[in-house]
Amino acid sequence: MATPVLEIDGLSKRFGGVTAVDRVSLSLEPGRIYGLIGPNGSGKTTLFNCITGIERCQAGRVSFNGERIDGLKPYEIARKGIGRTFQVIRVFPELSALENLLVVTRGGLAEAEARALELLRFVKLEGLRNEYAGNLSYGQQKLVEFVRVLMRDPTLILLDEPAAGVNRTLLNDLLDAVRRLRDRGKTVLLVEHDMKVVMGLCETVFVLDHGEKIAEGEPGVIQTDERVIEAYFGR
Amino acid sequence: MVLAVYPAFGTGYGVRAMLQIFMWIALAGSWNLISGLTGYVSFGHVAFFGAGAYTGAILIAKAGWPWLSAALAGGVGACAVALVIGYPCLRLKGPYFAIAMLGLNEVLRALVSYFEGLTGGGSGLSLPTLHATVPIYYAMAGTAATVTLLTYLIITSRFGLRLMTIREDELAAEAMGIDTARHKLYAFLLSAVGPGIAGALAARDQGYIEPMSVFPLATTITMIVMVLFGGKGTVWGPVLGAVVLFVSQEFVWARFPYVHQLLFGAIIVAVVLLMPRGVLGLLQIKYRLPRTI
Repeated sequence: MATPVLEIDGLSKRFGGVTAVDRVSLSLEPGRIYGLIGPNGSGKTTLFNCITGIERCQAGRVSFNGERIDGLKPYEIARKGIGRTFQVIRVFPELSALENLLVVTRGGLAEAEARALELLRFVKLEGLRNEYAGNLSYGQQKLVEFVRVLMRDPTLILLDEPAAGVNRTLLNDLLDAVRRLRDRGKTVLLVEHDMKVVMGLCETVFVLDHGEKIAEGEPGVIQTDERVIEAYFGR
Repeated sequence: MVLAVYPAFGTGYGVRAMLQIFMWIALAGSWNLISGLTGYVSFGHVAFFGAGAYTGAILIAKAGWPWLSAALAGGVGACAVALVIGYPCLRLKGPYFAIAMLGLNEVLRALVSYFEGLTGGGSGLSLPTLHATVPIYYAMAGTAATVTLLTYLIITSRFGLRLMTIREDELAAEAMGIDTARHKLYAFLLSAVGPGIAGALAARDQGYIEPMSVFPLATTITMIVMVLFGGKGTVWGPVLGAVVLFVSQEFVWARFPYVHQLLFGAIIVAVVLLMPRGVLGLLQIKYRLPRTI
């Protein structure tokens, strides 16, 4: 077995008296697509925030390619090769679609521009490259956010509800893109409420409930897990 | 060209007014570098003007420096203040940063009032007599031009775009691998140099400074209004704002003393309500103008 891309060990995060993430451990292998599901408020986004350094966890450790990253600043973690999107869109609204991508990388401008244009073409937005990102439709902004993550060519990509608000055609393109990334050896962890997407795309699914990991396994197995059914539908 | 030969045939008042306009361009342009680009609103930017004025004046009066080197030293002095204050204060967000900057200005004013031996305290500091209005005119013009050129270079670079990502969404910028703390600090340091040099030049030009005259809150407000009027985050917005507001203020002041403050207040309200992006910001969005304006 290869070294895990990401290894989380006993991670906990409390906000005052609320335990948002409770001793969660999980491990991601390279070249696979993982799903993270759970009812609202089960700690999925908080877990993303802890991985990317936006929140500081109180206990546990996070390792990326065998190197500890908990305690690092968000930009340091991003530079190590973890990219993420947000549940609520966070493009830079008064920067053009192209500029949204250009700001991410350093080095040669011509090279960055070529890469940014290639990525915009990939999501069929090259015609709108000079439009302010804030003027694009919701789905288009989501795509800008998605390819912005790819500018740095990250090893691990965290997607927070990539399917929400995206129409079917766009969504299929997006899911194809995710699969192609996987085929190139990237690891993807996505939070998603659309079970069709999760079941069709993910090879392994983690289920969170009240901050705890209650199940882990192949999608088919997860669907019949009693604790998962209970978490979603009650007893 | 016209500006370069103007002192040769302009009236004394004209040269002095132009000098003032250059000063306001340097001040407004500098405020734009930190606040227009990163969105971190500095409510105490006149502190750098004052720091530069005192640095320059002390070097001229106590150490006998020539005024041009003293002016450059004023820029360095203001930059040093920015470094000390920027490191902790730029961690503050929104109104807290604005208030901290307001506090900085009051602290500096209190400090120069206290250290009487060096600064003359509340009774001020007089500089040796020197008739150098015309050379200072050129120096101030150079400062204004440099600040504007710097703004152009920054706004058209990826460094400038990164500063704007801080204004747009600082958290997303961090998550994309942008070291926002370092970017903010660089912008802050650059934004202190212009006011520092302008302060030292103004001190030399006036020949006398005191705490109340170089640390007035009104100066910060004026820079802010000029930038908001012209268009924050644009290259020429601060220039346009400085020229239009200074000229209109002079006209109104000459005809109706006391009314000019009323007019100024009315402009603030009108700009904020009707065109929060300012003249150039509005045109830029409406007509898709490039960032070079």
